[in-house]
Amino acid sequence: MTGASESVVEAARLGSGIATVYRALDEIVDLYSLDDAAVVVDVPGFGRQVLHAGRRPLHDDHRSLHNAEPGLYLDPAMDDPVLADLVIALGALGLRYDARHDTQDDDTQDDA
Amino acid sequence: MTLDELELELRRLRGVLAVGFVEAEGMLIVEVQVGPDTYDDVARDATTLAVQHAGGSATVEIVRWGDGDPHEPESRLRLLEVTTDPPRGELAVRLACAEEEAVGHASSAHGLAGVVEATVYAVRVFLPGLAFLPGWARTIETTSDRRFLVVASVTDPVAGIHRRGVADGSSPIDAAARATLDALNRTISRDLV
Repeated sequence: MTGASESVVEAARLGSGIATVYRALDEIVDLYSLDDAAVVVDVPGFGRQVLHAGRRPLHDDHRSLHNAEPGLYLDPAMDDPVLADLVIALGALGLRYDARHDTQDDDTQDDA
Repeated sequence: MTLDELELELRRLRGVLAVGFVEAEGMLIVEVQVGPDTYDDVARDATTLAVQHAGGSATVEIVRWGDGDPHEPESRLRLLEVTTDPPRGELAVRLACAEEEAVGHASSAHGLAGVVEATVYAVRVFLPGLAFLPGWARTIETTSDRRFLVVASVTDPVAGIHRRGVADGSSPIDAAARATLDALNRTISRDLV
């Protein structure tokens, strides 16, 4: 196992879902020496969501992402369907996990 | 509220497509990008959440995408070049809007603030009634491949509105001009049509 993937695993073990998705995007950028990365996911309760590496705002160059289908968008483009599927799955799972975790916290507070 | 929790809450607001964060000068800038299915009070709700997270040191910018016909061509200003004239202590920012060009000049003595100033002056050639005044600019990150990430700010003193933009460039002055356009283009694009 590489140090990079250990870091993602560590984020998944101890961090939030969103933080884990960003960690994965940042490490993909570093690992493949990319200029940029973003993932578009479609999650019940959130709708279409764009997560951009570094948690940075999107700019004009990225406006096509607003109408983009769920996918992993890399700059420069890189064709790796397995990686794309894994990151899309991680993105959807991360948001769903955090949403569920948040709801459970609210329920706990209500019970107390 | 942690940053993760803030982002989750922002993404739950109807029509929110993306959330981005930039820290500059001790201020958390939260950029929320929304689609046409959002609602009128999204700015108020996003600001309330950001203030809960960061107190008074947060500012929220709502960027609306997809209003109207998505295929409608939009007029936006483009940066052509930033040049300096060291003997004269001046810098110039050259912009283009469609086929037209304009140049703004400012003193180079004030660093990146001069770039913001020259950019605003160049924009005024296209929009003489522009209410925004030059603010400041700061380099907030230099990447390992020598790209410069800059935040620039412009202010409408009458309306009390601050707009901030973020952009990267091959030099700090290039990035500052692009960041100023990033701050202004969203506001002025409809006036340029």
